[in-house]
Amino acid sequence: MFGIRSDLPLKRDTAGRFVLWLVMVLVFMASLAVTVNSYIGVLLNDWNRSVTGTLTVQVPVMDLGEKGAAPTVGKILDVLKRHPAVAKAEAVPRAKVIALLKPWLGESDVIADLPLPALIDVELRTDEPEAVAAVTASIKTAAPQAVVDDHRVWLNRVMGLAQGFSVVAMTIMILVTGALGLTVVFATRASLAEFVQVIEVLHVVGAKDGYIAGQFARRALLQGMLGGAAGLALYAPALALVAWLASRVDPEILPNAALPAAHWLTLAALPFAAGLLAMLTAHITVRRALSAKV
Amino acid sequence: MALLRKKDEGFTGDTVGLEGVGLRYDTGPEILTDVSLAIPQRSFHFLTGPSGAGKTSLLSLMYLAKRPTRGGLTLFGEDVTRAARGRLATLRRRLGVVFQDFRLLDHMSAFDNVALPLRIAGVGETVVQRNVSELLNWVGLEEFKNAHPATLSGGQKQRVAIARAVVNRPKLILADEPTGNVDDTIAMRLMQLFVELHKLGASVIIATHNEPLVARFPFPRLHLDKGAVSILPPLTAQPSDQTAVEM
Ligand SMILES: Nc1ncnc2c1ncn2[C@@H]1O[C@H](COP(=O)(O)OP(=O)(O)O)[C@@H](O)[C@H]1O
Ligand SMILES: [Mg+2]
Repeated sequence: MFGIRSDLPLKRDTAGRFVLWLVMVLVFMASLAVTVNSYIGVLLNDWNRSVTGTLTVQVPVMDLGEKGAAPTVGKILDVLKRHPAVAKAEAVPRAKVIALLKPWLGESDVIADLPLPALIDVELRTDEPEAVAAVTASIKTAAPQAVVDDHRVWLNRVMGLAQGFSVVAMTIMILVTGALGLTVVFATRASLAEFVQVIEVLHVVGAKDGYIAGQFARRALLQGMLGGAAGLALYAPALALVAWLASRVDPEILPNAALPAAHWLTLAALPFAAGLLAMLTAHITVRRALSAKV
Repeated sequence: MALLRKKDEGFTGDTVGLEGVGLRYDTGPEILTDVSLAIPQRSFHFLTGPSGAGKTSLLSLMYLAKRPTRGGLTLFGEDVTRAARGRLATLRRRLGVVFQDFRLLDHMSAFDNVALPLRIAGVGETVVQRNVSELLNWVGLEEFKNAHPATLSGGQKQRVAIARAVVNRPKLILADEPTGNVDDTIAMRLMQLFVELHKLGASVIIATHNEPLVARFPFPRLHLDKGAVSILPPLTAQPSDQTAVEM
């Protein structure tokens, strides 16, 4: 294989072929975990950035007088525009409110007839909690019925969910690493048993344990890298499919965030990581098994 | 045979020394009991005894595949009962073993089998090519260098196994029934090979129960029976039957 001389009969190495397949599956799973983790990072960043330093003021429908929301909204805007912490404040046009609701309510004409709350988007010069509290207080003074949302509660819950996903992804990585290690340990032991005669010959003609372990380690490295490459090859179309499905989801629900370079580099590194892990595990396993002999 | 001549490895005393050696497998009976034995440098011995007497076991002590359950064992003047594993590997490079069942590696060509000890010892490929080719010529297998063991006859495998055992120019050659699977003509040729190596300076021990063969050579016998070794004189009628020895 790869023109490297091997003293082990690789052709009839059933345990080795098993490792190859298993590494493929494990790297596929690890890839998925990497993508989930990266994508969640991207989403959190995106949400965080779009949400910090902003407030949404909502004037509920039932509190609107005969003239509708306009007087209250005007009063609030007045206060906001004079406030030193506010960078920008503008009423959200009714058409945009309808557009925001569309993904949930569909294209029906009913929306147009619905009594909708009036919304004001506020951008602050800073996201310091004191500034947020001060602006909120002045809005409340101007219009006690207004609901001020600094998106923190929402963001915190979403972040909690996202972090949950991250923990799951990390758990998958740990499990995959453990499974890969154990697979290599058992496959190496099986090979040791299968090649016991070959190993005895190698010993008798003067091979040291390190040399024999090196033979197994090199084989494990190849299996890890080949299996890892196969896992990635399997993952590529799966990721493409998911990306396409995601692109069809409304960007208001799922931001169309690009995955960072680190994500692709991590994926590319997986076969090497698998190979390296397999190599070290095989080496240690063989050294241990041999040192118990004679 | 410049190939097989080698500067002295610089040890004094006996090639192998056994001192009150006992060997048992697990909890079984002692296969060897209280064996004390010295194999001098440049000696030639047959190792005889009925089947199951422990010939293979005794040889495997000498090629360091087993450790004695009791007693002392020295190889090239070193106490191997206390040596570290890495040291044992180094000592093994100075001996050549011919297994009864050859133990050739089936996935390698005859050439690669013979080259194995050299490559493991880290010998450069130019030297490997030259020495192995020369040795394969010497055992008459130059045409079969690329053949895999499975395609070779018993006698040819035997010769590959012997070539592998001697390619490292060992100071001690241990052969377990090396003529067991071949007809008399080939057996004699193989024996002459060992005699040649002996003349070049190696100590040789050949386990066999082929009495007619033993009787044709003027070499002493280590006789194993009931776990004990006795040294018997050569079986040969004429003390120095040179015609049988020379090629
Ligand atoms: N690996 C082993 N485990 C248990 N008993 C063994 C083993 N190898 C050999 N023996 C026993 O040791 C005795 C000597 O065997 P062996 O050294 O092969 O004798 P020989 O080579 O003279 O025929 C026999 O009784 C055999 O059954
Ligand atoms: Mg035997």
